[in-house]
Amino acid sequence: MIPIELVLGFSAALFAVGLYGILTTRRGLVALMCVEIMLNAANINLVAFSAYSGDALGQAFAIFTIAIAAAEVAVGIALMLNAYKTKGTTDIDELTSMRW
Amino acid sequence: MLDALTGLGVLEYVWLAPLIPLLCFVIAGFFGNRTPQGGGYIAIFGALAAFVVALLASYEYVMSDAYSAGEAFVRDLEWLVFGDYALNFGVYIDSLSCIMMLFASFISLLIFIYSVGYMDGEGKKKRRYYAEVSLFLTGMLGLVVSSNYLQMFIFWEIMGLCSYLLIGFWGFDHPEGDEATENAASAAKKAFLVTRLGDVCLLAGLFILLHMFGTLDYEGMFMQAKIDAVVAANPVKFPVAMALVFGGAIGKSAQFPLHDWLPDAMAGPTTVSALIHAATMVKGGVFLVARSFPLFVQSADVMLFVAIIGGVTAVFTATMALNNMNIKRVLAYSTLSQLGYMVLSLGAGGYLVAMGMETGNAELIGLGVLGYSAGVFHMVNHAFFKALLFLGSGSVIHSTGTEDMRLMGGLGKKMKITSITMLLGSLSIAGFPFFSGFWSKDLVLETALAPASHGLGAEHWFTLLFALGMITAFMTAFYMFRMWFLTFAGKPRERAVLSHGESPKSMTMPLVILSIFAVGSGLAIFANFLCHAAQSLEVGMRWIMDAGRVGINEHVYDGIAVVKHMFGNVWTYVAIALTLVGMAIAHAVYAKRKFEPEAFRIENKGRLYKLVANRYYAPEIYNQISWKLGAGVAKAVDLTDRKVVDGAVNGIANAIIGAGDAVSMSQTGYVRNYAGVVVLGVVVLAVVFVLAFALTGGI
Repeated sequence: MIPIELVLGFSAALFAVGLYGILTTRRGLVALMCVEIMLNAANINLVAFSAYSGDALGQAFAIFTIAIAAAEVAVGIALMLNAYKTKGTTDIDELTSMRW
Repeated sequence: MLDALTGLGVLEYVWLAPLIPLLCFVIAGFFGNRTPQGGGYIAIFGALAAFVVALLASYEYVMSDAYSAGEAFVRDLEWLVFGDYALNFGVYIDSLSCIMMLFASFISLLIFIYSVGYMDGEGKKKRRYYAEVSLFLTGMLGLVVSSNYLQMFIFWEIMGLCSYLLIGFWGFDHPEGDEATENAASAAKKAFLVTRLGDVCLLAGLFILLHMFGTLDYEGMFMQAKIDAVVAANPVKFPVAMALVFGGAIGKSAQFPLHDWLPDAMAGPTTVSALIHAATMVKGGVFLVARSFPLFVQSADVMLFVAIIGGVTAVFTATMALNNMNIKRVLAYSTLSQLGYMVLSLGAGGYLVAMGMETGNAELIGLGVLGYSAGVFHMVNHAFFKALLFLGSGSVIHSTGTEDMRLMGGLGKKMKITSITMLLGSLSIAGFPFFSGFWSKDLVLETALAPASHGLGAEHWFTLLFALGMITAFMTAFYMFRMWFLTFAGKPRERAVLSHGESPKSMTMPLVILSIFAVGSGLAIFANFLCHAAQSLEVGMRWIMDAGRVGINEHVYDGIAVVKHMFGNVWTYVAIALTLVGMAIAHAVYAKRKFEPEAFRIENKGRLYKLVANRYYAPEIYNQISWKLGAGVAKAVDLTDRKVVDGAVNGIANAIIGAGDAVSMSQTGYVRNYAGVVVLGVVVLAVVFVLAFALTGGI
């Protein structure tokens, strides 16, 4: 069995990649993808702890999270699509008309 | 028949007297234009009903045991109770209330009938007129039947409101600036504000009285033990309170120095002037003094002050009538002057009673009570002849379309009824022997002289006041006949030529009725009127009456003895002589033109003439005071309101808006900023938790 530290380290690395992406990119679709990466990092954690403790509940959670992530992507991409239609860009730094 | 009337029990329902005109006010106000004469007949009905109620109630009261026992008829409902004080709403009927109710409703009735003719051409505005005069009558009747000072004050203010509305009847616009003499709106405003100054004094006085007595009910206040205790406990506050109450009377009865609103009040319809001068409003102030007599006589100083104000007003305002060319203004000044007589009489009478109480002299108390009765007597007589004179002048104005006497003249031939009734009214007010004004004016002068001849410490004041009263009598005779000759005698001038003759019957009929009273009301002295008027004092201050019984019996209770005494006094003949001289001079100057009146002035530029024509610059003084003092105070208040109060409110609002704006700047709209902040927050939390674990040694 793979030691849990390795799995958690992988998960943390994946999360850090997603976070770095979010903090640096200006492209909306990339930001969405980064969110997905961070969600998957969380999923890996859930599965890892589930396997470690011998409780299947965590894996059930992970499946739910994947389903919700799918829905979230659908909403997110629809938002980006519409933003592109109205503003002609998906640059998130340009999409600031709602502030103040 | 008469017993059956007594059995009706109208006295229990005497509150109907003010209530019926109030209902007529509502009905005429809402539905006046759907009835003939814009509600005129409703108002007449109201006054007639009020008069009938007043007549039956007065008759019943005079016939009752309470009257002969010297008790008032009182019915109270509890209105407000707060703390130790209870305020009532009710009726208080004594002979003074009866007298006031009777002449107020009777004269109002005649004025309303007269209005049907006089206001005929007013169209839709008649509705407002009749509604307002009905309310005016309500105010007066409510005032006189009230059972306490607060209730009286409410009706007092209703009258103030009505006078404002009616003086400004012709319009509330200011087309030609703000000069009060020129337009109705400013005159109305002036009347309202000047009397308000008195009302504020009265209200302040009432507060002090409530504080000292714990009640404002007449019945609860007019008790010897209570008054003695209060006066002993408040040697300073009591006279101050009474002086403030008298301040209210100064405003309402237009005494010096608040007299100047009354001449301007001529801007209203003549019928309104008649109503204000004869039946209501200005009689309210005199009534207040008469009603408060038991309290006033506790302070000789205040009574001396009252007498001085009355005497000064009488002579001061009579001079202004001497050269005025406006027929209504002359009558307005004569009202002021006659009101001065009434106040002088009450003041001098009160001073005598106060001195009589101090020295235990029954004679003085008797003379004082005579002064009180004379004041009330003069008020009644004045009501009749002044209503007559105003309605007569209204008839002249109606016919000629001008108020300027220089444009009249020779109207005696065209307007027989008006000229004869006016002549009777003028004879009466001038104090021509055996007309009504003669009796009461003579008693007033006698009262004014009495303190001087009894050596009571203020001889010089009362000698002066008596002299002023005599001079006023002379001037009254002169200016009244000047008015009469200018209007009705001589050759017709510009407008008199255009006059369309005698006024309609609805106008002349009240004139004839009033002239009968103006000639004959003085004869009430033989029906023991003075005794009936003094009954009001029996009710209010029985203890003083008992102490002065001997003097009172001699001076008041026998009308014939009073008249005998009057004709035994040399000053009576002097007064008659002065009256005749005044009339003769007026006749010589204005009817025979033996002297040209123009000869006495230098192209209208004589200094004295100008002084009098400008009313001693009283309007100027009012303006200066209100501009310098009133406007200054108003500006300071305005500044406080705008800068301090509004500033605080706006400042707080602005601070919150600014803070919100500043904080909202942190919402940059950049997703990466938000993410960064979230990460930072998580990192900080993580660090804190790790540190906490490290320091506490794990879970």
